[in-house]
Amino acid sequence: MKKVLVILLLATLGYYVAGTYFDIGFGQPHFIKGLLPVKDIYLAQTVKSLKVSNAVTSIVVNFRGFDTLGEVTVLFLAVTALGSILYKKMNVLGERSVLFSSSSIVTSGSKLLFPAIILLGFYVFIHGHLSPGGGFQGGVIIASGFLLMLLAYENYSVSHTALSVVESLAGITFAGVGLLGFMHGGTFLQNFLPTGVLNHLFSGGIIPIIYIAVGFKVGAELTGVIYTVLHEKGESNG
Amino acid sequence: MVGTPVLFIAIPLLAAFLIPLLGMIWKELVRIVPGLVLTYLLILAVNLLVHVLAHGPVVEVIAGWVPPIGINLVFSVFSGFLVTLMIFLGLLVWAYSYRFKRNVDYEPALKYFLMLMMLITGSVGIVLTGDIFNMFVFIEITSISGYGLTAFYKGRDSAEASFKYVLLGSVASTFLLLAIMIIYSQLGTLNMADIANKIHLMNPTLKIVSYIFFVTALGIEAEIFPLNGWAPDAYAEAPGPVGAAFAGIVVKASVYAIIRYTFTIFDLSGAFNFLIIIGMITLIVAETAAIRQEKLKRMLAYSSIGQMGLVLVAFGFGTEEGVFAALFLMLNHAIIKSLLFFSGSYLVYNSKCKYIKEVNGMSKFLPVTSLLFALGAFAIVGLPPFAGFWSKLSVMTAAADSNMILIMVLVLMVSVVELVYYLRVVNRIYFFKKETAIEPKKPTFNALVVMIVLGVIILAIGFYPDVVTGVLHKASASLMDKSQYIHHVLSLRQ
Repeated sequence: MKKVLVILLLATLGYYVAGTYFDIGFGQPHFIKGLLPVKDIYLAQTVKSLKVSNAVTSIVVNFRGFDTLGEVTVLFLAVTALGSILYKKMNVLGERSVLFSSSSIVTSGSKLLFPAIILLGFYVFIHGHLSPGGGFQGGVIIASGFLLMLLAYENYSVSHTALSVVESLAGITFAGVGLLGFMHGGTFLQNFLPTGVLNHLFSGGIIPIIYIAVGFKVGAELTGVIYTVLHEKGESNG
Repeated sequence: MVGTPVLFIAIPLLAAFLIPLLGMIWKELVRIVPGLVLTYLLILAVNLLVHVLAHGPVVEVIAGWVPPIGINLVFSVFSGFLVTLMIFLGLLVWAYSYRFKRNVDYEPALKYFLMLMMLITGSVGIVLTGDIFNMFVFIEITSISGYGLTAFYKGRDSAEASFKYVLLGSVASTFLLLAIMIIYSQLGTLNMADIANKIHLMNPTLKIVSYIFFVTALGIEAEIFPLNGWAPDAYAEAPGPVGAAFAGIVVKASVYAIIRYTFTIFDLSGAFNFLIIIGMITLIVAETAAIRQEKLKRMLAYSSIGQMGLVLVAFGFGTEEGVFAALFLMLNHAIIKSLLFFSGSYLVYNSKCKYIKEVNGMSKFLPVTSLLFALGAFAIVGLPPFAGFWSKLSVMTAAADSNMILIMVLVLMVSVVELVYYLRVVNRIYFFKKETAIEPKKPTFNALVVMIVLGVIILAIGFYPDVVTGVLHKASASLMDKSQYIHHVLSLRQ
């Protein structure tokens, strides 16, 4: 009886909430007429003053770069929290969980693919301001390369110290570039480098620098997550 | 210019990324650097607050794009007061837990201090930001540090508590995003002042739905009654100082967010009554739940939830006196509840289950800690010479000014309940015989200093409430003046 009531209540609520969202009419120009939405300013300024051809990048890294700094911190914190929960005393790594060992086709195939995946990852975040993709996507691609290696080789190991150094340096670069902008232009994360020519690799001022830092950071952090979780077996904490 | 608000975010983030590297050089730096950062930020906050009191709010633009294009931070008297309070408490929490896991385990200590610093930074960011999506990001930072800190002791119970928090926190994030989506789809802007300026153009149904979603999302973090299932577990299972940080810092930030949405952004007429009703329900349910608790920290957690309900009631009066009373309550609650958590965790330090009956007769073994706990208990109930009295009194006068006699009666009745369960604990500490064989743990030197500082502040505010009321009056005036806020933010030019 109680459950039926709860379901009825949720259904009624859901009906009205869904109705509200249908009324918005996604996909049509639905901003209230007469207002100047910020998206128009973003699109105009992306090409005009930032000289960046990927509008998503210019919004993520410049207009709303502060949010991105926050999101990068969220990821950093998630890794920190995971590390603190799965931490093993005396620095003894838990045993790797291996369901079945991989065949020689998988091992040699992944050895072959690994450099290509890493290269693609670097390409995606270095060209973040020119083509689709960017720091987050590129970082994830790099981490997926490491995931492949970790799955193919039972004893493949990544240095934890190296990961944390890369992670820290990338984070410092992001915050440091922001503070440099603060010293040069007066506001945090302000562009202080020449913006260059549209569609060139060296253009967009600080945007590529930040995105490369984000790429390194995301790659290192996700690799760290995969590595920690894979080695979770062993000493039980409960 | 004495400094700018963005440093409150940029410096701790930079330090957070630096700390793992510094820890490789000298392990003690992991403990020292957060303290240095918080001290610097406290000085900055006090300086800025003095500046703002004299010259009006500071609006900081980020990435060179003026509002509404870019993100901005607003340091008004209201937000500045809360920032100063939070950073001060954060510094005390840091000092209290300075020796945490010292010479025991390096890696957990590193993570503890990182997460603690980010918890404070995220809460400060929630208060400072002038952009609704940016607030979402800071809420994420705060809650993820909260999840990590709750699960810090890695036991069964703390994992359960943390998992509850994660589930509810994710629900909160979802609702927050849904609400932001409605606003953006209608007005095409994310800036708070800009939204406040245009909110009258919005369809009322959409406005109400998005307001309800905002309050649901923030209510989870602010421990409003039907949404606070995570709070008692998280308080009870997290390390002692983290409980104080939750009560004093995180919850304050979430309440600030609700208030900002209600007072500045939305112009719904029934919203104030809504605040009074949910605040009243939270207050009554939490205080009656507190009296039934057998564990000390859970009791403190329920009391903290109840106090937040009272804060919402005071804000719900919608008058300047009401806001003043609410701010005064927030200040007192932050100081007193931290003292209670700090001293309470030493009273049950070595016990496994942290039952209230285990504090029996502790006054003979821990005289100073017991005295400070008793001081905190008397103060939070609102006995006259202590700080809590003035805030409860101002709530009463604000209620009387708004002709809400029923609210006055209810608040007084709930205060009696509060008195009962706090005095019960104090009674056990002083007049019961110690029964269990639990070894009392002497507080460390810095913990003792922190507790004594808090005790002195409680007495100081109790005897000279004038030291804070001036700032509080200006802060409440700055919250009430909505047009001034919009003007300050939107008058900036590229």
